[in-house]
Order: sequence, then C-alpha cells, then structure tokens
Amino acid sequence: MEQTRIGVFVCHCGSNIGGVVDVPAVVEYARALPNVVYAERNLYSCSEAGLSSLKQGIRAQRLNRVIVAACTPRTHEPLFKNACEEAGLNRYLFEFVNIREHCSWIHRKDKEQATEKAKRLIRMGVAKASLLEPQEETESNVIPAVLVIGGGIAGMTAALNLARQGFRAHLVEKQARLGGWLPHINRLCPTDEEAARLIDSVIREAQAHERIILHMPATVQEVSGYIGNFHVTVAEKEGKCTFDVGTIIVATGAEVLQPLGLYGYGRFPNVITQLELEERLRPPPSPSPVNDGGGKRWESTVFINCVGARIPERPYCSRVCCMTSLKNAIRLKKQNPAAQVYVLHRDLMTYGVEFERYYRRAMEAGVRFLRYDIERPPQVVGNGRAEAVVVWDTLRGQERRLPVDAVVLNAPLIPASDNATLSRLLKVPLAESGFFLEAHVKLRPVEFATDGVYVCGTARWPADVSESIAQAYAASAKAAIPMRAGAVTAEAITAFSVPERCMGCGTCVVTCPYQAIELRIANGGHVLSGTEGLQKQVAWVNVVQCKGCGSCVAACPSKAMQQRGFTDQQVLEMISVISGL
Amino acid sequence: MMNQSVLVIGAGIAGIQVSIDLAQMGFPVYLVERTPSIGGRMAQLDKTFPTNDCAICILAPKMIECAGHKNVHLLTYSEVVGVEGHAGDLRARVLQKPRYVNMERCTGCGECAAKCPWRVPDDFNVGLSNRRAIYIPFPQAVPRKATIDAPHCVYLQDRAKNRCRMCEKVCQPGAIDWEQQERIVELSVGAIVVATGFDPYDAGVLKEYGLGKIANVITGLQYERLVSASGPTSGELRRPSDGKPPREVAFIQCVGSRDVNYNPYCSSVCCMFATKEAILANEHDPQCRSYIFYTDLRAVGKRFQEYIARARTEYNVTYIRGRPGVIGENPQNGNPIVRYEETTAQQLRAMEVGLVVLCQALLPRRGQQDVAKLLGVELDEYGFVNAPARLRRPVDTSVPGIFACGYCSSPQDIPDSVAQASGVAARVAEMLAGE
Amino acid sequence: MSEQDFHPRIVAFCCNWCSYAGADLAGVSRLQMPTDFQVIRVMCSARVAPEWIIKTLSAGIDGVMVLGCHIGDCHYIAGNHRAAKRFALLKEMLGFVGIHPDRLRVDWVSASEGTKFQTIVTEFVERVRELGPTREFVTAHRRLDTD
Repeated sequence: MEQTRIGVFVCHCGSNIGGVVDVPAVVEYARALPNVVYAERNLYSCSEAGLSSLKQGIRAQRLNRVIVAACTPRTHEPLFKNACEEAGLNRYLFEFVNIREHCSWIHRKDKEQATEKAKRLIRMGVAKASLLEPQEETESNVIPAVLVIGGGIAGMTAALNLARQGFRAHLVEKQARLGGWLPHINRLCPTDEEAARLIDSVIREAQAHERIILHMPATVQEVSGYIGNFHVTVAEKEGKCTFDVGTIIVATGAEVLQPLGLYGYGRFPNVITQLELEERLRPPPSPSPVNDGGGKRWESTVFINCVGARIPERPYCSRVCCMTSLKNAIRLKKQNPAAQVYVLHRDLMTYGVEFERYYRRAMEAGVRFLRYDIERPPQVVGNGRAEAVVVWDTLRGQERRLPVDAVVLNAPLIPASDNATLSRLLKVPLAESGFFLEAHVKLRPVEFATDGVYVCGTARWPADVSESIAQAYAASAKAAIPMRAGAVTAEAITAFSVPERCMGCGTCVVTCPYQAIELRIANGGHVLSGTEGLQKQVAWVNVVQCKGCGSCVAACPSKAMQQRGFTDQQVLEMISVISGL
Repeated sequence: MMNQSVLVIGAGIAGIQVSIDLAQMGFPVYLVERTPSIGGRMAQLDKTFPTNDCAICILAPKMIECAGHKNVHLLTYSEVVGVEGHAGDLRARVLQKPRYVNMERCTGCGECAAKCPWRVPDDFNVGLSNRRAIYIPFPQAVPRKATIDAPHCVYLQDRAKNRCRMCEKVCQPGAIDWEQQERIVELSVGAIVVATGFDPYDAGVLKEYGLGKIANVITGLQYERLVSASGPTSGELRRPSDGKPPREVAFIQCVGSRDVNYNPYCSSVCCMFATKEAILANEHDPQCRSYIFYTDLRAVGKRFQEYIARARTEYNVTYIRGRPGVIGENPQNGNPIVRYEETTAQQLRAMEVGLVVLCQALLPRRGQQDVAKLLGVELDEYGFVNAPARLRRPVDTSVPGIFACGYCSSPQDIPDSVAQASGVAARVAEMLAGE
Repeated sequence: MSEQDFHPRIVAFCCNWCSYAGADLAGVSRLQMPTDFQVIRVMCSARVAPEWIIKTLSAGIDGVMVLGCHIGDCHYIAGNHRAAKRFALLKEMLGFVGIHPDRLRVDWVSASEGTKFQTIVTEFVERVRELGPTREFVTAHRRLDTD
C-alpha cells in the first residue's frame, strides 16, 4: 500500500482570508498533521499562478491527496479538480476546505479564534482526504434512438425533430391513424387556419421520413432498462416487436371530459360538446349555419364554459377552452351575423397578446359575454330539448333568461385513461390531477426525475397547438443531449453496496427517489459462511441513475450501503479529529 | 455545412436555458448579456409561483452551470451592434463595454463597492435603495466581478481632476484598470436566439394610481425586492413612508394592461404573482390581509387554481372583481385609499389599506427595437418578437436562422419560457443539421 | 469553567444545495457569528445517519445541527422529508438515553437565507454554551469507528 502523501494549499485570497486568518500559522500547523508531506500558501489559489503552483506541487512532491483551503467549493471545485487531473492525480483525491465564506468572512472580529477554526477545518479536511479513494466516473453508452409514445401533433413534432437531427425515432400510436385530436377539429385559434391543413402536412412528413419507424396501431407493453439503454416491447397487429432506444418521450395526449348529466347533456339533443360542434363545423363547408338535425338555423347559441372544470372535484383550469369558445362563437357569428351568441364564463382565460386580441375580435363580432359564479351555475331548461338557459349575470346583478337553439358545453381536457398504466411501465409519476408529473414544475417542465424519459403536450397539462409544439421541441432537445453525447457519465459520488453485509431487506430500494437500486442474486463472492450454495439477493446500485443523495446509506440497517466520497468512515473520522478527546 | 455556433442574446432564464441545452448538445454558444451579470428578472424575484420556491436558489445553480460549461462563452456587459449574413452563415459584431476592472484579477470580494463613496439608485432594487458607482449587481452574480458604472464614476467623468480612485486604493489584487477600452468581438455563428425578456411598464403614467406621489404605492417588482432576503430591507415587508409593516395590502391588477389607453394585451403572469405576493405578505405577518383587485383571474397552469384556493382559505387573501378608479391617500397616516366598483355587487366602495402594489404591464425590454432592427426580425405592434407561423413554428421569427424564446416572444411565465427555450435549442439543432 | 471560556465543539451537517449555499451567502454578506461550529458538507440531509449523531455526541462533540432544504424544496425530491422523520424520532431517543435533546437541532435553510443561517447558528451556540460540555455517554479516548 502506497504511503499517503497529502499536500495542503492554503489561499490568502488577498486579504479576504489572510486579513483575518493567520495563514502562515495555518500552513505551519497543516505541515505537522498526519499524512501531510507538503503545505504551502498562495495569494490567490484560483489564479493562473496559484493553479500552476498547485500542479507543480503535486508533481514535485508526488502528492496523492490534495487539499485546497480557500473559498467555497460551490464555485471553484471543478477548477481545482481539473488542475489535479492535469497534474496526473485522480480528481476524486481532492478535498476542498472552506475557510472564507465559512470562516474569515464570518469571524472578522475574532482573528485568533478564526485562525483556530481554520486549523480545525483543515484538520477535518486532512482526516477525510486520508480516506479518499480514487474514483472512475462510469460512462454508459446511449443508443441513438428514441421511443416516442403518441402520434399526435406533439409526438410527431418530436419524432420529426429528432429524426432530422439524425436519430432513429420509433413512433408508437395506439389508434389506426396519426394526428391525435386535430383531425377532429375544424379550425385553430387564434389564426383560424384549418386544422386539417396543419395536421395533414405533419402526418405526411412523419410518414415519409426515413428515420421514423411507425408502429401503428400499437401499444407499449414493456419497458426495461435505463437512460441510454431502454429495452422496449410493443404489441402490434402482427404480434410483438422489440427494439432498444436511448431515450423515451411521452406524448400521449389527453382525453376530453364527457359532461354526462351536466347542463342537460345526454338528455337534450341540442346540448352538445365543443368537440361535437367542431365536427359539425368541419368541411365540407356548409353554406348555411349549423344544422341541428331539426332543420332550423341556430338563431341563438349559448356556450357554457368551465363545465366540469374549476369545481371541487376537478379544480384545475383546462387552459384552452376559453379560446375554443371564442373561436367557435366568432365562427357562428360569421355564418349568421344576426344570430345571438353568448359565452357564459367564470373568468375569461385569454392570456397574452394574441388571445387578448382574439377576445377583442369576438367582442367586435358581436359575441356577448356573461359572467357567472360557481355558486349559481346556469340552468338549462326545456321540454324534450333545451329551450333556454337561465343564469345569474354577476356583473349586472340580475337573472337572465336566454332562449337557445343550441347549448355548447366547454368541457376540460382530462388525463388519458391509460396514464396509470404508462406511469407504471415507465416508472414515472402522475400528479394529483392525473396528468404526468415533471421533475420540477418551474425549471424542468418537460423532464421526468427518471433520466432519459421526457414528456410534452397535453399528456403533461392542457396546452394549445403552439404550446404543445414548443414543448415537443423542448422534449426533443432534452432527449438529444444524451444521444448526441453518445454516453452519459455519472459523477462518482454514487452509492454502492457491500454484498457481504447486505441482508437483502430492500429498504434501500424503496428509499431511493430515482429507482436506482434493485435486488439481484449475489454473484459468487464471499457470502456468510455456512450458506455456501445458498443464493441470496443483495442490493445493486445502477450508478447511471444514482444521483448521490445518500438517502439509502442512512436508511440501511446493516451498514451495507455506502456513498463514494461521503462514507461513514470519512465523516466520523472528520468528527473524531476535532472531538477533543 | 452550416456554422455550428450559436449566438444567444439575453441571459435571463430563457437565454440561460437555451445556452445550457445547446452547449450540452455540443454546440459552441456565445451568450451576450447587456448587464454585468447573467440571471435576468428571475434573480430579482423572491419566490416563484406556484411552489413558492426561492427564485435565486433554483436559478443560481443554472447560472453557474451555464457560465461554467466549456461550450458557453459568456460576454457580459456587452451588446450586439451589427449582424449580417444568412441562416447558417451569420456574422455578428458584439460591443463589450469597459468595466474598468480586470476580469482575471478581480476575485469578487466586494471591498471596492464597500469603500466607494458615490451612490447611484440601484436598478436591481428598482430604485428602492442605492448601490455604488463600482458594484457587483447582486450577491450571486455570475460572473462575480465588479463593474464601474462610468457615467457615475467621479474619476472617469473627469480624469484630469484625478479625484477619488478609492476602489483602486483598496483593491488588493490590483484589478482596477482605468485604461480598459471597449472592444468589438466579431462572431461567426450559424443561428441567433433572441431572449431579451421584459421591462415593467412605467405605471407612473396612470396618474390616478399615485405612483411616485403616494409613498405607499409601489410596483410588483419593488414588492419582490422588499420581501427578498437580499433586498433593501433584508426581506422585511416594510412600507416606504414609515417602515411599518402593512396590515392590509391591496394588489391592483392590469395596471396599464388590457387597457386600450395603454397596453391592450394581457401580461399573463400578474394574477399569479399577485397571489404569490399576497401569500408572502401573510407569511411575513399572519395578521396581514390582502385584497387583489382583478378583472379575470388567470390561473391556467399546473396547480395554479389550487394555489389561488389556498390563498383564499389559508392566507387571508380576498379577490375583488373590479378595477379601481383612483387611489388617494390618508394624510394622517400615509395609508392609500382605494376607490373601486365591486362589479359583482354593483357597489362603489372605498378601502383604506397599508400598502398598494400595482401589478403593472410588462413590456418587451427597452432596446428590443434596436436588436430587432439589427437582426431584421419583425416585431408586433407592442414590440414582441413576431412568430409568423405562431401555431406551426412557435419559436421561429420572420428571419430564417433567428429564433426567439421567453417573454420577448410573448408574455409567459417561467415554466413556459424554459420549455420554449429548450424548444429553440431543438429547432437550432434541426436547422444546423442541414436536412 | 465559566461560560465565557467554554468554547463548545459543534458540527453542522449542511446539504450541498440549500443550507451549505445559505451558509455561503451568510459569508458573502459578512454576517458575523460565533466561531464554535464547523460545517460538514453532505449532498442531502437524508445522508445524515442518526447513528452519526449518537456517535458524535458520545465522542465529546457538544452539539450537532442538521440543516436541509425547506420541505418541498429538496433537490433529491423528498430527502429532507426522510431526514425530518428520522430526527424527530432521534430527538425522542436522545432524551430517553439521557442526552439533552437540545444538543441536536434540525432546521431548514434555503440558499437565499443567509440571515437565517446566522440566527440559527448563533442561537444554537448560545444554547449549547448554556448546556455546558457533553458529559453523558462520553467514553474516554474513544475513536469513532463504523462498528
């Protein structure tokens, strides 16, 4: 075993440290610590001169452990670790001691005690460094192929983008045709372009691209593996198909609530949903306004927003429905300018520039708006068919009775019914609402906590076409990162299990937030005597998925789990040397 | 083969995100930021809705990751002054303004700022406090280097007089460099990303609300700085007139927004950030009640409706539908008096409160027009970057090879900006793949 | 020894993402504090094993702090939840074996709460000074092993 040779480099940081801490005394002190063979001070360790001195010191003194006592590791640790590597030392044999933010800057009034504290901190650092082991960062390859689940606008956009970047894209669609909901929609707001034109062109591109492999109709049956190496089984008409991918994008969309029992839906034939209205409005264009089957022109239509949404049972706002109401209200007015068209709402969600402009257009087109309250929802009344809508107009403070030819119900997007299945297959979570739950609501909107799996479009949350496409691009970017790199590396602060001590209790498995641990049959090795021939299950950590939190280590009842760079021994040794006993 | 480098203009959260994504994909990125530090508006926020995450806590690691990535070349205190070429082969000229501080030598210790005698209103604290002529914009600034604000530096304004130079005297590493010149950096890139963010509208224009006259009428961004631990009051909510904590706070929505007299559009994020600020007011003082005066309560994102519900039931927040007509002042105690119509009750009322927060419209950044002219991209009538095919290609501008994300493109919150930014990265990657 | 002369030995486990950063901010802001504590960095408060606390206090350390992210903000999703539960239980146990539970303080400090870090540390050092040196459970010349 080679002798431990620690080098300690103490930084003055100008007078930031040196003006409070007696750096020369600290260097003297460090020199005398166990295993320390070299100590020096630098004016600015992070400067060119400081780094160069560090590297020289490593080489000249044959150091095999390095400590820099300076500012905070949160800024400069990579800098010094790189310097160590350049000097031929494994970067995990480096320890950073913070004697600026955590010492000189907060103890300015007591220089003597600050100096003593700096000595203690360095003593702790030396104790830990003595126990550091060289580590190799594990590199795991990434297959340059993606699985996109869902062939709607989001899924196809993602598949096309990645295909164009040069990756293979397996596009799995459970229905017999691509396009998701858009083939059922008439026009899109706020541009009023035809949905068919947009979606048909995307479908053509997706079908034509040589790197997109279409599985349709097909469903994902099984997924195993982890980022870079997912093994996927898909059930298609002809049987099962398996293939391997590096990344997965969930673009399975959402469903629309059927508002059975609400506002006369199901009871009155002229109470329809927005989707049913879309079908009626779609080309071939009808020269006369919507035909309700009874042959009458709709002289009066009432749209009711927030049907089954923003209620205690389903508190969320479905984001896209207000605009849909406006779009179809404008269309009805266009077809029949004399018609009365009302939109009954509880807040009009026309956020941003284009949507607010669209709202003004609707007002200019003569669409009338009426604000109702959740406490007094509209009543649809009639005999055999809806004849009128009675509603308390909160802004006028009076009840209104609106005669109707048709009532259109604006119901929310709801999570797709197979979300739960997919969630289990991919080991990704669902939010309370039932939509998929991303890694971080603010800063990681299209990623899952599980590496290599991403989400976009209405599978994640109600979104309009432009938002779904932007998110699909975002998910593609995230998937492209590991695929372009060809490999993923894990910082070597991962957990590992010592099989001899492991009882196979599985506590670590359930503790891990990233599902990075599984139980496997111990591979030979020395198990407890008397049990030769007995196969036991022990914990195995997938270092690619492990994020180095250390939760499992603290949870392990048999002390079989440890964390590289933060072992129990290292920490307890640090405490030992300052415990004063 | 197209040039594989990318120029990103603006280093707020959107600019930072697209830079990180592109860098991780292997593209060299030039990130140009007009101010001395990256971080943008998010660095000025205390917490972010609907999780009430500490804004700088989640932003700072991204800032460090971005600046530290080997593929990202940061050009702070710089502006784009010229662009020519076409998609795949663009040439940009970037003016790097002189900080008069040697970036290699400066360790960001802050001694210079502590000793500089000259005070300047602090933009970062929205004028609520002063900084010095030499300064580090905020504690977590990246790069953490000092900058001398030349127009306010007494020495630089008249070198012949040779006054002050205190910073130079106290700088240990000798990082003050009076001879530093502005320099032009010529860049060759394949694509450009505009991510220039927003400025708050000057709510003083709405004289009826008394901003600038009534001491206890402040703006939303000023409120953020008051409740921020790194702000002028170390995070204590104290009203400007007498430093007392307000017992009631009124938030006025749509100030200068959704108004044909000012900005007809909706700024998208104010209903939510007012709710957040009201929640924070109650967290600071459980006796504090808040009133949010709104027109339509826009809470369309994930868990936003639940956030509003909690504000109502747990944090003493009351929502009143009505846009106040005028704000007066009680001369005896400095309390603002809000006069409004409660439209759902058809009643005219007046409410005396401790503090009024104006949630004013948010506009594309000053300077957006200049950038747009240089790049040749179309803006809409409000100055937002136009996406000609907004539905099909939401992040493409009117110029091939130039993309836009974040608030400069359309009013949106942080998650949407971040998603759009990553979206731009994918579009750039697709374009530069040349298919 | 008088309270003034007693310099307690205190260890503060801080998680990399929140409390360590909060401690850094306290430093950047030059917030002054007593010198009687040393920070040990861990990646997550969930790494702090309850037996560390027992061994630490039984080795002559007078006080231990475990500082993590605020509930809901854990970088590793819910590590701080685990820490909260573990240490709530541990505090009960400490009292049971005769160690004053106030020698363990578990708290949440975000990366922007430099002032809170200063307040907590100052308060804790004071409290440990009041309690005096740890006498309970101390075994002379005991080296800390993992067994």
